[in-house]
Amino acid sequence: MKRIYKSIFLTTSLSLFVVFSCNKDIDFTEELKPLTPANLDANAENWEPIDATVLTLDKIIAIVETSTPKVFNPPAAITSDAYKAELTAIKDAQRNLTSEQMKIIEYWSGGGVLRWNQILRELVARFNLPPAPKADGTYPAPDAENPFADPNFPFANPPYSARAYSYVSVAQYEALKAAWHYMYLYNRPSPSKNDPEIKSLVPETDLPSYPSHDAVLSGVSVEMLKLLFPAAIEEITLRAADQRNAALWSGKASSSDISAGLALGKSVANQFITRARGDGMGAALGTKPQWQALADTAIKHGEIPWISLETPMRPPMLPFFGLRKTGVSNGVKAWRMTTQDIIDQRPTPPPSTSSAEMKAEVEEVKYYANYLTRDRLSIVHKWADGVGTYTPPGHWNDIAAEYIRDANYSEVRAARAFALLNMALHDAAVACWDTKYFYFNPRPAQLDASIKTGTGIPNFPAFTSGHSTFSGSAATVLSYLFPQHEDYFQAEATEASLSRLYGAIHYRTDVEVGLVHGQTVGGFTVSFALTDGADD
Amino acid sequence: MKRLLLILMVLLTQASFSQTLTDGLMMPKDNLCTGFVYAHDQWKEYWEGELKRDNGNIGKLTTQSLLWMGNYGITNKLNIIAMLPYVKTQASAGTLQGMQGIQDISVGVKYNFLGAKFEKSAFNTFGVFNFSTPLNNYTPDFYPLSLGAHTTNLSYRLTAHYKLEQGWFANVSAGYTWRSNTELDRPSYYDGNDFYNSREVKMPDVFDVFGSIGYQKDGLQAELNYMQQNTLGGADIRRQDMPFVSNRMNYIKAGALIMYYPAKIKSLALRGAVAYTVTGRNVGQSTTYLAGVLYTFQFSKNQ
Repeated sequence: MKRIYKSIFLTTSLSLFVVFSCNKDIDFTEELKPLTPANLDANAENWEPIDATVLTLDKIIAIVETSTPKVFNPPAAITSDAYKAELTAIKDAQRNLTSEQMKIIEYWSGGGVLRWNQILRELVARFNLPPAPKADGTYPAPDAENPFADPNFPFANPPYSARAYSYVSVAQYEALKAAWHYMYLYNRPSPSKNDPEIKSLVPETDLPSYPSHDAVLSGVSVEMLKLLFPAAIEEITLRAADQRNAALWSGKASSSDISAGLALGKSVANQFITRARGDGMGAALGTKPQWQALADTAIKHGEIPWISLETPMRPPMLPFFGLRKTGVSNGVKAWRMTTQDIIDQRPTPPPSTSSAEMKAEVEEVKYYANYLTRDRLSIVHKWADGVGTYTPPGHWNDIAAEYIRDANYSEVRAARAFALLNMALHDAAVACWDTKYFYFNPRPAQLDASIKTGTGIPNFPAFTSGHSTFSGSAATVLSYLFPQHEDYFQAEATEASLSRLYGAIHYRTDVEVGLVHGQTVGGFTVSFALTDGADD
Repeated sequence: MKRLLLILMVLLTQASFSQTLTDGLMMPKDNLCTGFVYAHDQWKEYWEGELKRDNGNIGKLTTQSLLWMGNYGITNKLNIIAMLPYVKTQASAGTLQGMQGIQDISVGVKYNFLGAKFEKSAFNTFGVFNFSTPLNNYTPDFYPLSLGAHTTNLSYRLTAHYKLEQGWFANVSAGYTWRSNTELDRPSYYDGNDFYNSREVKMPDVFDVFGSIGYQKDGLQAELNYMQQNTLGGADIRRQDMPFVSNRMNYIKAGALIMYYPAKIKSLALRGAVAYTVTGRNVGQSTTYLAGVLYTFQFSKNQ
């Protein structure tokens, strides 16, 4: 008898162990198949510049050719000894490729634009941490001059990250267009086409290889990211070097292709770094008297001003990131909207904090707080995109990446898609932050302290919902890019928007007005895209 | 030999209110001990990694649970132990909602596989295999207010128990818990070390040690105990970040337990316990109070 129990015990233990002891490891990255562009977009150099005051094709040509020394020189002939020596070096490298090197080739074969977008989302998530309060109840501000200190620089909150995604994407796009110009000007074939002994370890295309567009991407990305995430410099430079090495090892580019590309990428980045240094971001934080003035203005209009619901109270998040108000703030530059556009499109005021409509809105929020079903909580958490995440702009990049991957775009067209998306998301951040600090409207839990939320309450005014504005703008751009999936994008945007009401951190007016406002903002980018020459 | 057996039987009878997976006690054959335990756990300070801090947006975090438990003796050497808690969490400050609901059902088998009897003492060893799984789709993505990690767990445990005839005992137990991965409602996350484009979170396994010394005789059991849990992996909570389900949650707790069997109602047992977190990592410095009422039913005809 005893033996029977013993054996039952042992066999159940063992069998369950076998069933459950499967590998728990999870794949880090999105699966990307080696890039096989449906169209090489040979005419991409002619596509309209994003911001002609920053960079045009003529301007980059002037920079490349009039700098001393030149950014890069025309390529040596493929029959030259110098070039032959480069080919020999590739052959040597290919003979001794380690499995580690093969993995790097495989990783970057999925497409540099898509990979850098993933890396950027990861950086945002990692740096999306608010400063911890000091013992005296104040909060230290992250310092760009001392990025490794506590708190790290930056605090990659939604407006900061919307701007970061846009700068990286736009600079990559302009750099690739410049690369396309020179690649088709010089028409130097890739090493694997010049020497039959060089294997092509990634799918071969007819793209000319001088300068190497992979190196262009690595150069422009590394410079932009060093500006935006200086504390991640080590990792960023290692990743960029991997990308260049992958191009060399795989037979796509020779060392002269790569050094020309790297120089071109950096030159383009410098133009956008100059723009970024002067775009108004430095004034976005403001000062204590300026924050108080925002509250005073709301009081003067007979409204209850927003206050921080954190303990200790935290200064409002980037109050002058968007605000366009004469004598108060100019806000951060948008990409596709002028200051007048932003003022013209600013939503009309929300219900007064003392009105019956507002009371009814608070009641509705309270209903959602009190009846937070599991289904609604799952929607709240799907879209929460709060502290420690890639933020709502990152979430829309995540959504877009899948469609861009499946579209088999060339690198330059993929870069255009991300640039369009992220310009709209940045402009949404600017326009929404303008609205939030223009009205300085309190959160539901401020008007009724019994409201308990399903996710963290963001530390800035309620009207309008940032998630709704971001989602409205992103869905509008993605619907332009992938019209066959418009219903899906709009449904996701609406769900993201409503998630903020379900989570009891926004009124219905915030989310509904924000969504429409976002669609309007996205429309400005779509208007640009319709005439930029890429669809011709 | 007979006398030793007798001593053992006496010991077993006195130990007839065993309930836990970690102790060195068994329910006799055909006896069912069942009842409810209420637990009140509260912390104000917690360890963010190794940094001890409080948080004005949490205040005091209170977890209350009502636990049903049952321990049935299939034989004198083989018990089945089941538990089902209802858990409620609440923060005293900030705006975050508390959560509540039925948590994980746990079913375990405890086997007294080796025993040695001496003239005035007895030594026993036990193997425990325990299975637990969530009965409710609560979210694991709302720490510190989540009801739990929402994982299916398999635990393997060995326990050694030494008891003197006068009632003094010492007990040591060590367990290894395999945890399934868990799933979030969102498509990506940063776990403190790495970024994943996945809903699925890799959950590190857990190792624990439990030790107790005490006295148990004539309707009274009193013990002092030590509990240590080490999560075998996972990242620290970063500065000012929210806790995450797969964090490395470690702690050492010291506690005391009293079981009292009122002389007039032979089958009733009252239990009270307290535990204090001495040190930890990525957990709250909690104080836990437990109060329980348990009753033993005897199904065997010949008793």
